[in-house]
Amino acid sequence: MTQADVRGSVEVAGRTITRGEIEDFLYEEADILDAWNYDAWLALFEEGARYEIPTTDYRGWSLHAGGSFVDDDYDLIQARVKRLKSRKAHAENPHSRTQRMVSNVRLFPGEEEGTLRIRASFVVHRARDGQFDQYVGWYEHVVVPTQEGLKYRLRRTILGHEALPVGARLSFIL
Amino acid sequence: MSSEVSERVAEPMLVEDWERLTFRVNREAYRSPEIFARERVDVWLRTWLYLGHETEIPDVNDFKVRTIAGRPLIFCRDTEGQVRAWLNSCPHRGTVLCRENEGSQRRFQCFYHAWTFNNDGTVAAIPDDGAYEDIESLQKNMMLRAVPRLEIHEGYVFISFNPDVPPLLEHLGDAADYMTMIEQQHPSGVTTLPGVQLYSVRGNWKLAVENAMDGYHFSPTHNTFVGYLRESGFAVTDDNQYAYNLGNGHSLLVLTGHGGRISMIWEPRFGEAEKVRTEEHRAEMVERLGEERAHYIADESHILFVFPNLLLFDIEGLSIRQLEPVAPGHTDVRAWQLVPREEDPESRALRMKTVVSFVGPGGLATPDDIEAYEAVQRGIEATRGAGELDYSDMSRGMRDEVKGEQGRSIDEGAMRGFWRYWEEAVGGGLEVTGDRPASFLEGRDVR
Ligand code: FES
Ligand SMILES: [Fe+2]
Repeated sequence: MTQADVRGSVEVAGRTITRGEIEDFLYEEADILDAWNYDAWLALFEEGARYEIPTTDYRGWSLHAGGSFVDDDYDLIQARVKRLKSRKAHAENPHSRTQRMVSNVRLFPGEEEGTLRIRASFVVHRARDGQFDQYVGWYEHVVVPTQEGLKYRLRRTILGHEALPVGARLSFIL
Repeated sequence: MSSEVSERVAEPMLVEDWERLTFRVNREAYRSPEIFARERVDVWLRTWLYLGHETEIPDVNDFKVRTIAGRPLIFCRDTEGQVRAWLNSCPHRGTVLCRENEGSQRRFQCFYHAWTFNNDGTVAAIPDDGAYEDIESLQKNMMLRAVPRLEIHEGYVFISFNPDVPPLLEHLGDAADYMTMIEQQHPSGVTTLPGVQLYSVRGNWKLAVENAMDGYHFSPTHNTFVGYLRESGFAVTDDNQYAYNLGNGHSLLVLTGHGGRISMIWEPRFGEAEKVRTEEHRAEMVERLGEERAHYIADESHILFVFPNLLLFDIEGLSIRQLEPVAPGHTDVRAWQLVPREEDPESRALRMKTVVSFVGPGGLATPDDIEAYEAVQRGIEATRGAGELDYSDMSRGMRDEVKGEQGRSIDEGAMRGFWRYWEEAVGGGLEVTGDRPASFLEGRDVR
């Protein structure tokens, strides 16, 4: 068996989660975000979940040993969603047009009981104000299988850039 | 700067009218390549510039590579512990000497011909130096090129490319004490952390300065953030808040109604445990600094602009923002969190989360500021070359200024002070109509 086969599925709390399920989860989320359906996006998180984007100089320090771009606890995730749904979130009104590509999806047993870890690459294309920006990086998520499907415990986006390039602010969800 | 260059830009740059109580800024200042080139020489290569914080290079041999005023530099602490700023360019034929962004090394070796330099600037090795006539003078002439001036105030490292610039403290003037106030917040002092927000905006650097000194935009631009604060149980008010010109182009916003301050002003979203820690910290401050000083340090939020490239946000938490103009419509921004060296881990987590939720390109507020700079930069294309129409209005508060009343944070007096100082440096003309009122303190308020 190759390494890829080993990671094609992971046992979590007596269930087998396949790479196909994880890919569907990530593709679904990409569609939700591209369609600006923020209520559906919030529903992908379990209560108490976190959303993080470390800075581009991130070298693996533990949370709060260094600065971040996004350091949202569940309250802030909710506040962020509420803001983005408002017509007064000027940086995203009008909305950016985004097109997300997700690939190189791998899964691993989670460190905490009942969780699994996802690693995947992304490219997000964003069009706004006559400009076209690209964001590249990878995800390091922790998800929990529940009765209502997979839920984020930690949604973590790591940027592959040396710095956020011109125009590339993180006013939407990356 | 040649007079030919300045003639190509419509004049004057500033129009100040004390009869109509108006102050207007020529929009060419934000977009003209000629003015950008003049600024480089007359501001960026002439005055003090913020380079970085000493705590970014805490140990001997630590270094960071950073571009300031368009010049690639090495910011390092040499083997003796002295802070240095070298041009990041090999004295031999100009190659970028250090191609890492950061690290720790005693020596820098140019990969091209392997010339090697100690981090105190001296030549360590020139391969096959027997080919040169006088090795000793070669070694002397080929030392690393230092930025001519470097001085440090409270850990903030400033440099100047002008060897004749007046001493740093003279330049900082009244701004210096607000930096000291940050250092005094905690008995252990403050330190930067890794995790630097590096981002770029499609806007002129002066739009970022104006925005930071502009309390008027807070409610409309940050409508969603104000809503978030309100829901978390904190009322935001613009009453009794003032903006000050500190002289030398520096300015200060003093805010007392814009949200809590971690470990200094508690608010419900910080939680009960933080309330206790805040009370303890206050008692400690009063003992260490006295009632009055503790009050000024703890109970006011400060946004300090140090001309031309440093913004210090002493608000919910502390952050440093550095502006690096790249082109008239392109500015690189770098932002560091400043934290007490010693801090309860819960307060630290709260502090970092709270600061990031507001500031930075991923926060709930800064993206709307960036939107504002970018929308101005795009919008002013509409009046390009349109004479009278090609001016931005910054008259708010002149009515009170005539009466001798201190300008509010929601007026535009701090911006006017900035622009007058800028015009003195860069030129382009200041046209004054009517008499400046007796209360007009040459653009400088005394706090
Ligand atoms: S250019 Fe650096 S050694 Fe020659
Ligand atoms: Fe703002």
